[in-house]
Amino acid sequence: MKAIETKQLRKSYGKTEIVKGISLTVEQGEIFGFLGRNGAGKSTFINMLTGIIHPTSGSFSLLGMEGGDNMAKKYIGVMPDYANLYGSLTAMAHLKYFSALSGKPAAKAVCMEVLQQVGLDEHYNKKTAKFSFGMKKKLGIAQAIIHDPELVFLDEPTSGLDAESVLHIQRLIRDLQKRGKTIFMTSHNLNEVEKLCTRIAILKEGRIVQSGSMDELRAAFRSTINVNIKHSPIPASQQESLHQWLEEAGSNLELNDGEITITVESEQKISEMIRAFQQCRVEIYRVHVKEPSLEDIFLEL
Amino acid sequence: MYEIGKREFINLFKSFKSITIVVLILTASFYSAKFSRLFEGEAKDFNGTDIQYLGLLVLIVLFGTIFIMSLSHDTISREIHERTIRFLVTKTSRASIILGKFFGILLFWVICLFTSFILIGIFTQRIDWFIFFQTMSSLTFQIALTILVSVLVPKPMVTMFLGTLIGILFPILGFWLMTTERVWAVWIKYITPFYYLEQPNFSFLVIFLFSAILLLIASFILNRRDC
Repeated sequence: MKAIETKQLRKSYGKTEIVKGISLTVEQGEIFGFLGRNGAGKSTFINMLTGIIHPTSGSFSLLGMEGGDNMAKKYIGVMPDYANLYGSLTAMAHLKYFSALSGKPAAKAVCMEVLQQVGLDEHYNKKTAKFSFGMKKKLGIAQAIIHDPELVFLDEPTSGLDAESVLHIQRLIRDLQKRGKTIFMTSHNLNEVEKLCTRIAILKEGRIVQSGSMDELRAAFRSTINVNIKHSPIPASQQESLHQWLEEAGSNLELNDGEITITVESEQKISEMIRAFQQCRVEIYRVHVKEPSLEDIFLEL
Repeated sequence: MYEIGKREFINLFKSFKSITIVVLILTASFYSAKFSRLFEGEAKDFNGTDIQYLGLLVLIVLFGTIFIMSLSHDTISREIHERTIRFLVTKTSRASIILGKFFGILLFWVICLFTSFILIGIFTQRIDWFIFFQTMSSLTFQIALTILVSVLVPKPMVTMFLGTLIGILFPILGFWLMTTERVWAVWIKYITPFYYLEQPNFSFLVIFLFSAILLLIASFILNRRDC
């Protein structure tokens, strides 16, 4: 059973099409990252899946249940973007209220445990009107998981949080995955997505322009490879021929004392380069291949 | 639904405005019952209605809409405006939100009205359940109307203005419809609760049907709305 399956999901406001026919599948137990610039349609897409807004056309299913089925709401947790909490309620009251609404009323001990997981246990009795932005964000995550859902939607879960809290939340997301939960998250923090997500989709102007695991994305975008080699001194008699070979093998060649940096077009060139060094009786101390980061891929798109 | 209703009910008891209205209704009931004893034997019946309940009925029929509108005009619109509704719609059905709000507000008014009838009952030694349910039907309609307005208009400031306007105009319209003989207007009275409240039989039950229709329309609109 797929955790999420969408078919040609579209959303228009008047003549403006925000989401332009997205079809994707998320397997159970995945942490799926949804990336895109501001206005790409990430939140609109999440809002359609979570029932906040209605799709203009297309269909979707969550945990095998047809989109819009109220039964599915029991098994999903949502931290929506741009949602306010009730200022007059305490953190504890929020969790009790929302868990009861989800059909699984949580005991005080369970609420405390979840508050502890997001780092809000010391503020359980504080009204959210007095909460900072970061604290509200954490409570937003807490209410999304209070009823132990199978599928969790997190829209920008760590934006606006301090570094320590970000690590805290990232740990929590990993823990949820270990417990078999599926997480669908959007984020502007590319490092976070790269670190956490098992699969990623990059959205541009309402369309998915690339999706897959980090390795698949790298493979799709690996047009060039940057290689850095630390080596022993090159014998004077071999210097000219080796330099010539390297210039032909790649581009952006930089030669420093005992170190070269070069851009090559395939992995095969790296092994050829190592053989060339060995033939010239040059010892190789370290080879560092710089993989394209998600940031590189994202910017290239 | 139950949780939404419970929260709505508790919130109503927390507000200063609602306490003031409850005190006003209880005071009206008390004096209505007290003064009715002065006319005992002379005016046992007033247009089919026990005179003891007259003060309370006038208050509910004339000012019920404005009371309910002033307390609950933003029951849905504030949730939409402040986007707290996003937490609700991701957890429960939109129909449950409407029904939860409705029953929460209804329970508040049932308790308020029941207390008033008990107060009157202490003086008269009996409670007229017919009038109780007749009045309840009127309140039910007004609550459903308030919810519909709150769903139709997602801005609390506008619902407050509209609520006040409807609260003033609705009883005026009702009384005009009851007295007018203009042919083009006569049919309208059949779709307002005032006509059925006037009847000394169980035709007030139609008002509950009207309320259900208003709630269905509210639910339909909220179902189609993006939050």
